[in-house]
Amino acid sequence: MATIAREVVDKQRQLKPPTLKAMIAERDRLTAETGHYCGVTELTLRDSDPIKYERFYAKLHAAVLAARESARFVAASPGSREMGECLWGIATPEGDTLAVSLGFLSHTVIFPTSIRYMADNDYDVNDGIEDGDVFAVSDGLTGGVPHPGDFYSFVPICVDGEVVAWAIGINHLMENGAPVAGSWATFSVDTFMDGLVCPPMRTGRKLKQESWWRAIWERRTRAATMNILDDKMRLAGCAMIHAATHALIEEFGMDYYKRAIREVIEESRRMVVDNMRSTLVPGTYNGCAFRLVKYKGLQNVWSHADKNTLIHVRGSLEPNENGVLLDAEGSSKWGYHSYNATPGGVDCAVFLGMINSFSHNTKVTAGIDLAVQRNYPRGSIYNPDNEYTSNANLWAQTVALNSLCFGAVSRAMFSRGYLEEAFTVDGNWGAFQGAGTTADGTNYGFTNFEWLGGTGRGAWCYKDGEPLVWAAWSQMATIGDAEEFESTVPPLFYLGRKLLPGYFGYGKYRGGPGNSAVHWCVEPGRHVALTRPNGGLSCTPSVGIGMSGAYPGPGSFMISARGTNLDKLIEQGETPRDARELLEMIDDEKLAVKKLEVWKTDCPELALKDNDLFVDAAGSSGGWGDPLDRDPAAVVADLNDGMCPNYAFVSDMHGVIATQDADGNWVLDAAATDARREALRAARLAESVPVADWWQEERPRVVAQDFVPEVREMYAQSLTFDKFQREFAGFWQLPGDFAFAEESSDE
Amino acid sequence: MSEQQSISLDLIRQLVDGTIDDDNTERLLKLPRKDKDRFFGYLTVLQERVPWDERILLRLGDKLYIVAGAPGVRTVKCECGHDFGDYRRNWKLGCRIRTRKTLAEMAQVYDPAPAVPEPGWQEIREFFCPSCATQHAVEVVAPGYPVVFEMLPDLDRFYREYLGRPLEDERDDWYEDHSTAITGQWAQQAP
Repeated sequence: MATIAREVVDKQRQLKPPTLKAMIAERDRLTAETGHYCGVTELTLRDSDPIKYERFYAKLHAAVLAARESARFVAASPGSREMGECLWGIATPEGDTLAVSLGFLSHTVIFPTSIRYMADNDYDVNDGIEDGDVFAVSDGLTGGVPHPGDFYSFVPICVDGEVVAWAIGINHLMENGAPVAGSWATFSVDTFMDGLVCPPMRTGRKLKQESWWRAIWERRTRAATMNILDDKMRLAGCAMIHAATHALIEEFGMDYYKRAIREVIEESRRMVVDNMRSTLVPGTYNGCAFRLVKYKGLQNVWSHADKNTLIHVRGSLEPNENGVLLDAEGSSKWGYHSYNATPGGVDCAVFLGMINSFSHNTKVTAGIDLAVQRNYPRGSIYNPDNEYTSNANLWAQTVALNSLCFGAVSRAMFSRGYLEEAFTVDGNWGAFQGAGTTADGTNYGFTNFEWLGGTGRGAWCYKDGEPLVWAAWSQMATIGDAEEFESTVPPLFYLGRKLLPGYFGYGKYRGGPGNSAVHWCVEPGRHVALTRPNGGLSCTPSVGIGMSGAYPGPGSFMISARGTNLDKLIEQGETPRDARELLEMIDDEKLAVKKLEVWKTDCPELALKDNDLFVDAAGSSGGWGDPLDRDPAAVVADLNDGMCPNYAFVSDMHGVIATQDADGNWVLDAAATDARREALRAARLAESVPVADWWQEERPRVVAQDFVPEVREMYAQSLTFDKFQREFAGFWQLPGDFAFAEESSDE
Repeated sequence: MSEQQSISLDLIRQLVDGTIDDDNTERLLKLPRKDKDRFFGYLTVLQERVPWDERILLRLGDKLYIVAGAPGVRTVKCECGHDFGDYRRNWKLGCRIRTRKTLAEMAQVYDPAPAVPEPGWQEIREFFCPSCATQHAVEVVAPGYPVVFEMLPDLDRFYREYLGRPLEDERDDWYEDHSTAITGQWAQQAP
């Protein structure tokens, strides 16, 4: 009897599903040993019956597409319902993406982070993971979430007690309960100021959220109604995927399913690697970007954060036989500000360019994850050696790293001859956020995503960039309806919402212009205040290198005009429609403003009263090519279209001479233009020096470390990383151990 | 499969000249796979546009090329004919440079005023060809930042492994950054 009993127990042990930890270890082992996903060296299902194989995948893909197109109408928030700031996906038990809907594509690469965390911490052992459970995730470190405003729902799909897939839904919340209201908590010093940050946690069972979870939204965020509906939206989509996956397994059988999910990832990995090889030029592509963070004087409650910081974003891309290596070594260290990343969070940004460039003709799966090797050095802003860093504004600077690497792809395609793909990549987004209390005491929080939804696209190498069509984080650029955002922020009304003339990087081809809106505060009730979590709000272009002699797109800015005479202007029928018009009306003394502030970096919370104005500008993009090579007719067309409002500026920029006729139309003077261009070329030579002379002049300043404190601190940090230290010391011919003294900006 | 298709030289010329129409652009953008032989057609078109005879190996910028000179010599050449020297040395080091450090200087190239970068924290560098004054590059970087070597191609691997047509003068040291050789010379000349 004892023998029989032991055999039964042994058999039960054998039948017990493997743990998540064991499955992940096995995936890692097989992939590392063979160089193929999960050891799949032959695509046997695809090759033996391709129709069945594609039918299987089409059903998976259809499930996630249908989830998005149905579930987002459950939401109330404009970001999700109207603008599509959301995504649904299905992943393997290990979290590897099998298929994703339209929307936030790059989130696909961070699904494994949460699953690995749950596996490492035995979620499936104590107290188990069951079919239809609901897990909430918004933590950067344990969930790879790019910022806590993005919220995830994970639903395990189990058969006979074994996790066989995950259904996942994501969207960007309207408000996530941080000290600074909105969904990107500016001025956060650490994770405890980032708002509702959830490491993977079970919040529901059997495809239904538990009652306590509603209380979290109501008590810990300022937009409970919208957040609860967004939560229902994510879960509704996951429930659709859950049902479809069970039906799929029923139809194809578990053995087929388990093999097919490995093959689709391996198939797409191969395709991605082949795409890279067939469109790139191997080598090393370097880029840099900078971001000014001005906290000095604004953070005196948190004295250790009361300083300015210059963040250095350094990125290189190196195509190789396995795909590409993306290296961020040399970038700044983490700091007591809200711009730190986590490896998962930065993945979410840099895969924007990778997926857009190399997954366009294959299944969007974890295959691309395997084709992009990443180096985020420990201690850097991309991989902090501190578990408490704030990640609230991660997106603002990691998008610059994406632009560098995406831009490297453009350079390579330009060199390879695929000019139709070569354009200037920018990531100059904007948004605003805040909270208020109406006259009847109702509280609300909000985010206006409009300048995140659509920005100017940088110039192509053969034509000008276009306005509003670009949003690297989504395939469907849309700024949403103004009326939608007016309804979510009761006292703010649009006086204007338009392209901002002249607001782009200049070149032979100019970038797509950025956007500007004028928000008018009317009857704010008891209180309304806002801040700006802006990707481009950093006193600099969002990337540091122009393309082929053009200027990178200018950074974003915003203006608060408080205490105005707007009511009188309205009576006269003339109000500003964009930032330029606002400043001109102030200069012309038409618009009176008691307190005018121009913000080029983070602003503190701005409380608005009746007739106060909040004006923003964002979404500019860079040019391509030497500005003196621009077709003079295009310059004149821009003058006549109002795209370039400042003749003197563009005349100097492009060397174009034009005159206005009786109707006010600009007319080219071709002969004068030729002469002007010759003169400007001569001036270039006269006003410049050989780089060798410049180097001799600048080097003593470098040796003496004669820079503003923020620049000194930036170099002190970046030179602790060997690769950049070698480059810096080599360029300036300094000792191999040259370093900048560590210091704080207030010393 | 679209990679077997060829794109006409005329269409490549239109791309290079910026005269291609939107329909053709869209057609090229929507190719499931890029036409495999584009590169050599591209070189043909580029070669007919430059006033010199050296063979173009790679285009780096609108008017900047890596060319093959005498055997074992690969240099960077401006469209005007100016030679920047060995392509393993950052060609920017052979340029003339104009820097914009003040708000007024930066405001000449950025508009409107609030969009101008911040002096002290940033400077704008413009790199010109010493012969024809073409603006080949712009950097907006922190003061003291090393001049960025934007692109160092691995030409031997590209021609051999990606294109299947190895270059005649393959060598082990072609894919190396030799820029510090120049700054090393400058250090010797320091006053």
